[in-house]
Amino acid sequence: MSEIVKRAQEELDKRYNRLVALNASSLCTRCGLCADSCHFYLANGDPEVAPAAKTERVRSVYRRQHDWLSRLFPNFTGARELTEDELDAWVDIAFRYCTMCERCTVNCPMGVDTPVVMGAARGTLTAIGKAPEILVQLADAEIARAESIDIFKDMLKEQIGFLEEELREETGDPEASIPMEKEGSEILYVALSGAHTILPAAKIFHRAGVDWTLSFFEASNYAVFLGDMKRAKAIAQRIIDEATRLQVSEVVITECGHAVFSYRWSTPVWFGELPFRIRSLIEVIHDYVRDGRIQLDQTANPDPITFHDSCNLSRKSGLAEQPRAVLESAAADFREMTPNREKAFCCGAGSGLVAVEEWRDTRLAAGRPKAEQIRNTGARVVVTSCDNCRHQLGDLGEHYGLEIEVKNLAEVTARALC
Amino acid sequence: MSVSESVEESEGLVSDLVLDLKGLVCPVPVVKVANAIKGLEVGGVIEASATDPGVLADIPAWCHATGHELLRIGRNGREFAFWVKRAK
Repeated sequence: MSEIVKRAQEELDKRYNRLVALNASSLCTRCGLCADSCHFYLANGDPEVAPAAKTERVRSVYRRQHDWLSRLFPNFTGARELTEDELDAWVDIAFRYCTMCERCTVNCPMGVDTPVVMGAARGTLTAIGKAPEILVQLADAEIARAESIDIFKDMLKEQIGFLEEELREETGDPEASIPMEKEGSEILYVALSGAHTILPAAKIFHRAGVDWTLSFFEASNYAVFLGDMKRAKAIAQRIIDEATRLQVSEVVITECGHAVFSYRWSTPVWFGELPFRIRSLIEVIHDYVRDGRIQLDQTANPDPITFHDSCNLSRKSGLAEQPRAVLESAAADFREMTPNREKAFCCGAGSGLVAVEEWRDTRLAAGRPKAEQIRNTGARVVVTSCDNCRHQLGDLGEHYGLEIEVKNLAEVTARALC
Repeated sequence: MSVSESVEESEGLVSDLVLDLKGLVCPVPVVKVANAIKGLEVGGVIEASATDPGVLADIPAWCHATGHELLRIGRNGREFAFWVKRAK
């Protein structure tokens, strides 16, 4: 056994917890229902990329180590030894042909959680240096910001200064601001680097009269895609420390699927009980509309609009109804795709795939079911609450000639503010 | 490092590759630069222009994480420009 395979086996075993063990057990009945729920299988018809087949590649290696029958009779049970060639194949099945969207899981009669097994494979590949380089670089850049915050503070403040000028122009209020480092604020808003996640939210907070402050850090956490929970926790720690230092009442995470998912579900595991609550911007906008803190004019968004459910938000976090309620108030002609909510198709580029340039063709092909759904609505605007999906939907629009604009919920809401 | 008032100040820097990142938002500018820099020799310089102010934070952080050298970053109206040198 080579050194790299030995290390990979150790890393794989480290991740063999009860959840992985259950999903890597013989729960799968090979019924094949998962295949038709997977956008990668629908794109190329290759049985090797069907969820059951992808899981089986990892499962068969686990079986060799952890199942007594497979230890004695590996050929009989189909158990396999880990090899370097197998690890190279895992890069494709875990990073390239699985977006960990969980659509296979909700369609599986046995509830096999393929992403849990793929996550163990991703973590193992990252630990031995086989993860896509760009994902590692993006995760490291997030940590670099925290390690050298004094270097980046001035740059960030200059960036926000430019946006503040725009905010004042657009609101007509010379006092409108994008506060930073404001202690005791009601909200610490954690955006992404892109202005489209800062400016519309700032307009909404301004109109709602909220006492808020903008985080120095971005919401995204690329280490989650790597299955590297140690690094993911370090990235999340930056926000937790900032919120604690500023003594805010609430942390609001911008429209970013994996960020909302990880802050919603992982932070309680990593950090225990916190002195502030964590919510998504979607929930906050929904509450402002429901409670009358902001009023919206539907005629501001007259074109037919449809909504794309981010897997991390709708399927994995139950945030399916709130954006729809907002769109009913903010748009004149809201149309549903079918299927939607927890049964929606993945955009085809989740879990970091959108950032891997050399796999662009794979994600464009995998987005075909989503492109067909959009075309069938006749919508000219597609709203989504995930930046990963936003990039992919824009590319799908060009690739499949959909003639659409892609916006986030805050942009559509801000445009409709009365 | 601070943002130059005008990218005109960066005249004199010789670039081996020019990237147009206008209209792209986080993390695409970083992804494009990371991909493009692999095609340069060590010491080669990328010059890029962008419209998303997010590059002001993202590009320095990416350079810090990867070891590539950010030679200059500046603003010209609503556009931003930066020069990155491949270090390894």
